[in-house]
Amino acid sequence: MATLSRAEALKIITEIFPQEPTVVTLGATVRELIATVGKRENDFYVLDSMGLPVAIGLGIALGRPENPEKVVVIEGDGGLLMGLSALPTVGFLKPRNLVILVLDNGTYASTGGQPTAATTTDFAAVAAGCGIRGVTVDDDAGFHAALADAKAMDGPTLVRMMIDQRSIKTPYLLEDPILLSAAFRKLVGRT
Amino acid sequence: MSTDNERSDAVIAGLAEIKPAVVPMLPSSTLRRILDWVMAQPDIRSFPVTREEEAVGIMGGLALTETPAVLIMQDNGVGNFLTALTTFPQAYHLPCFMLIARRGGINEYNSMIHLISERVPAILDAANIRTFHLDAMTPLDQWTRTVVKGYEFARITHRPVAVLVNLMGG
Repeated sequence: MATLSRAEALKIITEIFPQEPTVVTLGATVRELIATVGKRENDFYVLDSMGLPVAIGLGIALGRPENPEKVVVIEGDGGLLMGLSALPTVGFLKPRNLVILVLDNGTYASTGGQPTAATTTDFAAVAAGCGIRGVTVDDDAGFHAALADAKAMDGPTLVRMMIDQRSIKTPYLLEDPILLSAAFRKLVGRT
Repeated sequence: MSTDNERSDAVIAGLAEIKPAVVPMLPSSTLRRILDWVMAQPDIRSFPVTREEEAVGIMGGLALTETPAVLIMQDNGVGNFLTALTTFPQAYHLPCFMLIARRGGINEYNSMIHLISERVPAILDAANIRTFHLDAMTPLDQWTRTVVKGYEFARITHRPVAVLVNLMGG
């Protein structure tokens, strides 16, 4: 039974991964992250490419193979379902520096709360079937423990974080993606 | 007129000059000679991807880290990646160099692939994706140069660029 909201889960994520490069899924998750902890220079906001964050995070992780710092992906259940085909590729390549965090509220929250197929999909089992360490957690203590493990252990790891459907009202993020890209490249780029 | 293998070898020469560190690739019988060469290179991390849009996400992530990369695929997969390509690397000004094999023309053996493949140049043009074209009418000595220049053009202009290669003789 989920007891934490998305905003509360995001706060825990930023406490455990304060400076790691983090790819953040679109819509309400980006806005709630900003509303909760502000803009961090290590966050890369994916504004409109639903289903792509895991693949983007995988690309970043592959581009930094010698860097032990984890690359974190914050995805939703609907987004992961749209980009589910990336998991076999993650499992095939097994990047040790990749952590996938799935905030699962069972709905497409950004578009009005329509249900997703996540309620009948065991993402941790799917991850495990792809060769990725997968765990499911549903409370504050579980979140902290699973994220600390994901940070400490070699990846790839997928943590399914069960959250409730509470959300906070936030303004739209209307930043130019070119500026977002340029800023993040300074953090993870080679030059 | 050049042979299929000569055209593939000219593309391979271009890839050797580019020296990509990473090559995500989709399956393709037409590209087999090129894919075999890529997979045999110890300095290239090549791997299969399951879908074209996933490859675009990976390519964009690699571009953020400024890792030289080339995506290799067939043109009948273009329909799969258009949203990903336009909303991510194109919108975020990230280079994404794609080597895309043409299908559906002269010497095609599939009875329906032309329905998507014939329209790919128009589809990419409508999506404002820059393309360069190599086919049997292109002098062989232009192939390697165009592949290399296309890669450089993607980097210089910070956007997706595709070199469409017809290896089948059409």
